[in-house]
Parts: sequence; structure tokens; C-alpha cells
Amino acid sequence: MFHLMPYAHLDMSYTEKHRAAWVVLPNTYFDPKKGHELYNRYLDELEMAAELGFDGISVNEHHQNAYGLMPSPVVTAAALSRRTKQAKIAILGNAFCLREHPLNIAEEHAMIDCITGGRLITGMVRGIGAEYFSTGNNPAFSHARFQEAHDLVVQAWSKPGPFAFEGKFYHFEYVNMWPRPYQQPHPPIWAPSTGSAETIEWAAHPSRKYTYLQAYSPTQSVARYLNYYRECAQTMHGYTASSDQIGWSTPVYISDTDEKAREEAKPHIENLFNRYLRLPFEMLFPPGYLSSKSLKNMRSHKRSVSGQEHTIDTLIQQGIIVCGSPETVRKQFMDTHRLLGFQNLLCLMQFGTLPRDLTERNIRLFASEVMPALQRLTDKEYAGMEVRAAE
Amino acid sequence: MAQIFAVDVRGCKINIRRSGQGEPLLFLHGAQGIIGNERGLAALATRFDVIAPDHPGFGLSDSSDSVDDVGDLALFYLDLLDTLKLDRVHVVGQCIGGWLALEMAVTSSARFKSLVLLNSAGIRVKSVPRGDMFICSEAELLKLLFAGDGAAEWLQSWRATPDLEDIYDRNRAAAAKYSWSPRLCNPKLDRWLHRVDVATHIIWGKEDRVIPPAYADALKGLIAGSTVVTLSDCAHLAHIEQPQVFADQVSQFIQRVAP
Repeated sequence: MFHLMPYAHLDMSYTEKHRAAWVVLPNTYFDPKKGHELYNRYLDELEMAAELGFDGISVNEHHQNAYGLMPSPVVTAAALSRRTKQAKIAILGNAFCLREHPLNIAEEHAMIDCITGGRLITGMVRGIGAEYFSTGNNPAFSHARFQEAHDLVVQAWSKPGPFAFEGKFYHFEYVNMWPRPYQQPHPPIWAPSTGSAETIEWAAHPSRKYTYLQAYSPTQSVARYLNYYRECAQTMHGYTASSDQIGWSTPVYISDTDEKAREEAKPHIENLFNRYLRLPFEMLFPPGYLSSKSLKNMRSHKRSVSGQEHTIDTLIQQGIIVCGSPETVRKQFMDTHRLLGFQNLLCLMQFGTLPRDLTERNIRLFASEVMPALQRLTDKEYAGMEVRAAE
Repeated sequence: MAQIFAVDVRGCKINIRRSGQGEPLLFLHGAQGIIGNERGLAALATRFDVIAPDHPGFGLSDSSDSVDDVGDLALFYLDLLDTLKLDRVHVVGQCIGGWLALEMAVTSSARFKSLVLLNSAGIRVKSVPRGDMFICSEAELLKLLFAGDGAAEWLQSWRATPDLEDIYDRNRAAAAKYSWSPRLCNPKLDRWLHRVDVATHIIWGKEDRVIPPAYADALKGLIAGSTVVTLSDCAHLAHIEQPQVFADQVSQFIQRVAP
């Protein structure tokens, strides 16, 4: 289960004065007393998921926004590490490359891995475009710096120190990490993304074989990007990717019936997409953040959907969210697994303004009615790419 | 008509527009790059041999892994002058191009005959807010860049062909590479501007909301002997918005200091 920890008390009339819930939304909209309640409630929800048998619980990093209140996901992961016993703790992801000193985060990850006895999954991300405004990092160097930060961290985790690291962006005379991570050579690394071809190709490389996690998108795009990973593995790198290299992240809402689920989720999921994700193109994709090819693709895609507000109906119809009765949700995931073969599923069970009671019931219903069937799925149930293409 | 050609500067292909006759004048473009129909450049070409390169990463020039910031760019341009076998030139720099000219001049102004700064980036005047060309919408950007109604025509000319559209995107990415952070400045540059020992004229569009006219006064205070003129009905791009006034200002200044 995945949490974003949104500022659920956001005054939605902000849209009359401000063009985004990111970067330029004044922090006077944040009430620390409400923040205190929210953080503790959200941590409770993650702990509950761990107790109910979710394989993992997950947090992530975003800056200067109302959408996700975890500028340091290490803090929430650390809070969870002693309150859970079995579940993996997945930081999906941390933007190592946004830091002047990526080794500081690498140290913190190694600490969590040691404290939990190897329950950490590390996600490495570039950060979304808005983060480059928040942190002052230059988007034009984003890919190169991401890759170098990755190399630095992996070496620091796995190579005996002390050694010197001389890169283009990072220079250290002494890399000698104490503690070393519990998992050897290092914690599993995942690559969450919204579908950058460069990231997919990089993650699929045989020296990495990192789990690629597609962040919520229409089914069509999810299919395109997950299949692109498999294609890269096959045609660029000459190996067959297994389903545990593939992951999908999506908001999920379950209630007794399809109608009830739709009705209960509606205002909260629409807030997520229309209020918390209110982010103009220029903030989402600062110049240089995307290659010119990706920028063109993205622009034509965005132009075709811009101007329209999401409704729960369009979100369900496009497969951006999964919402319905336990039967509906279970069937949809099993069918999608057959088509796309993802061994890793990240469910966003709280979204936007969804209140505590509905969130908890959502988590419980998923854990009892949907999860057991999904946990049994393996590569065998995946139909394979050729079969899918022939259909 | 401008002659358009490429030169190889230590493995980096640089696209150059060259037109007119007279003393060589190097035009260093700003964040918006060069589209090729700037009337201010055509007006200058009636009196000078105008040399207008696309900086690495802009326009049709290669990008270069060894040119990461404006400091690198300044050294790169010394190589470019060598490649073009130009000893001393008049330099006109707009926005990032002005910043680039200043970085060259504080090292040594030996290659300069004169210097014109046009709504120049490079320094940071504390407490004078600037506009952010990167975060704003396109409509807002046009308001930052233009005082009058030339904005639509300018944008339209970038939309004329798919190639130009690509170059527009490319220019934005290159501008980010050179000027993202610290935004449009080198915070240490002001402490070296006493070294600019070449005749300097500062031209500023009064309505510039990217780099407001307070920056013209600050530069004047830092560069000994420099002069300032501000232009009405003009914002960030005087060579586009007030082409004749801009060209007259440049040539009158050069006439005065380097006849």
C-alpha cells in the first residue's frame, strides 16, 4: 500500500487565487496542528496495512505542495520501521539527485535497512518537474545527475571503502559508508516513473534489471510503458524480463457495490486529480527536464486532454483508477495482470480528501477480499506479449 | 542577406549568421535565441559586419558537454573568436548574452573594442524582484518580454515551421542549462565588474519585467564610465521591439567612443 499523505484540509478555494497546488501555493494554507493530526492518522493507516498482511507499505518524496507532505520520506519510513515487523518498507522514491550530498540519503537508507533487518526497498527518482523549481536544481542536467547519483550511491553501498568518487556533479575524497546496508550488495532498487523512455531503458539494462513502477496513468499508457520495458529487455538487451521487474501504481477504492464505491470515492478522487494535481505544463515539465522527443510526445498528449476536468467516470473509464465492489476490483487486477504481467502492485488507498473511516474500510476490504487472490498470481498467469499482440 | 554557415570550434559545430560590412560586431543573444528575422540586427548590418552565433545548445548549434555554464561559455567564445580569426570586436550582449560578455570582459577586455549591454543578465540586485521566464505560462511570458503588441507576431514566427518550433523548445532548454540556478546571474560577478575597462553603454527597455531597469542603474554603478539609456515602449527584447532606436543607440555609442 502506498501513501502520499496529502494535506487533506486544503482550502479548495485556493484555485481562485493560485494556479497550482505546488511551488507557488503559499504555505500559510498549511495549519501545523492539522498537519500533526494528519501525519499520525496516515502513519496509522500504513501500519494498519502492514498488520493486515500487505507485503509492503510505501512512502514517497515531494516538495512544496499540498499533494504529498513528505519532503523527506526517510522520516516517515523511519517512523514505520519500528512499528512494523514483516512488511517491506518501500521509499518510492527518493530523489537522490536533487541533493548536493546524495550520500546523506544513502546513509539514512542503510540505517533503515539495518534497523528493519533488510526490509527496505529503495526507489530512485529524478523528482517531478516542479521539484526543480522548489530545490533550484537545474532540470537540464536532471538525467545525467540522476544517473551519477545512482552510481555514487550503489558504489557507496556495495564497494569497500574508503574510496574516492570523481564524477561530473559529485566529488568525494572519502566514500566509506557506515553503516553498510543490511541487504547485500544493497537494498532492491526500483525505478518509479510517469513513463520517461530514458528511465525505462535505463532501468531495464541487464546490469540493473530494476523494477519499473508505472505511476498512475490511463490503462493504455500503462500498457505502452510496461510493454516498452519488456521490449527494451528483449530487443536492446537480449533477455526476457520477468514480471517481478514490472510494477503498477494506481489509486484503488472498494466498497460493497460498484455504485456505492463510485459515490463514496467521487469527491475525494476528483479532488486528487483536479485540485492536488493542479500543476500547469510549465511547472510539470521545466525546460530541459524532458528530451525534445519526450517533450513533443508529452505536449501532444497533454494538449489533447487539457482543459477538461477529471470526473470519477472518466478516471474509471480510462483505467486511471480502479474502483468498485471487491469482485470488480479483483477481476480488473487479475485481467490486467494477465495482459501486462506485473508482479508488483502499489495501491493508493487514501487519496485527496478521503477521510479516515472510508480509508480504513477500503484498506480492510482490499486486504480481505482482493489481496489474497492477487498474492497468488505469478508469471504463469501472464499471457505474454506475443499472445497479447495477437489478440 | 545574411550569410549562414557553421564553424567547428574544437569539435562543437556553431551556427553563425553574418551580414553587413564595417567593423566586426559580435551579437551575443539572450535566452530567446535568434530567429533570424530580428530587424534590429538587420539595422545594425547597415553599418557593421554583424556576427551572430547561436550559443552551444541554442538554435542550430551543437550542444557541448564541456560548456555547462556561462563561465564556460565565456572561454568558449574566446575559442570562437580565434576560429573566426577575429582579434578585436564590438560586442553587443542581450540578457544571457550580456552576462556572457561581462564574464569575458572581467577576465580580459583585450578582445573588445566596445561593449553594449542590452537588458543584461549577470548580476543580482537584492530586493528587486525579477520575472521568471521558466515558471510562467506562455501568455504570461509574452507579457514579461514585450511592452507592446509585437508579442503575437514574434510567437507566430516561431510557430511558422516544425523546425522552428523545435528550436524554440531547444532554446528554452539551453537557456535553463545556462541560467537556471542561480537564476540569470553569477552571484560573484559584481565583485569583479571593476575590471571591465572597455567603453560600455547600457541600453534598457523600460518595461522589461524579466530584468527591470533598476538593474541598468546597478550595472552603471559597477562599471566605471558606463552610460545608460532607457527606452520607452520597450521591454526585454529591444532589438525586436525597438529595432531602429536600438541600432541607432549602438552605432552612435560606437561612433562616440571608437570612431
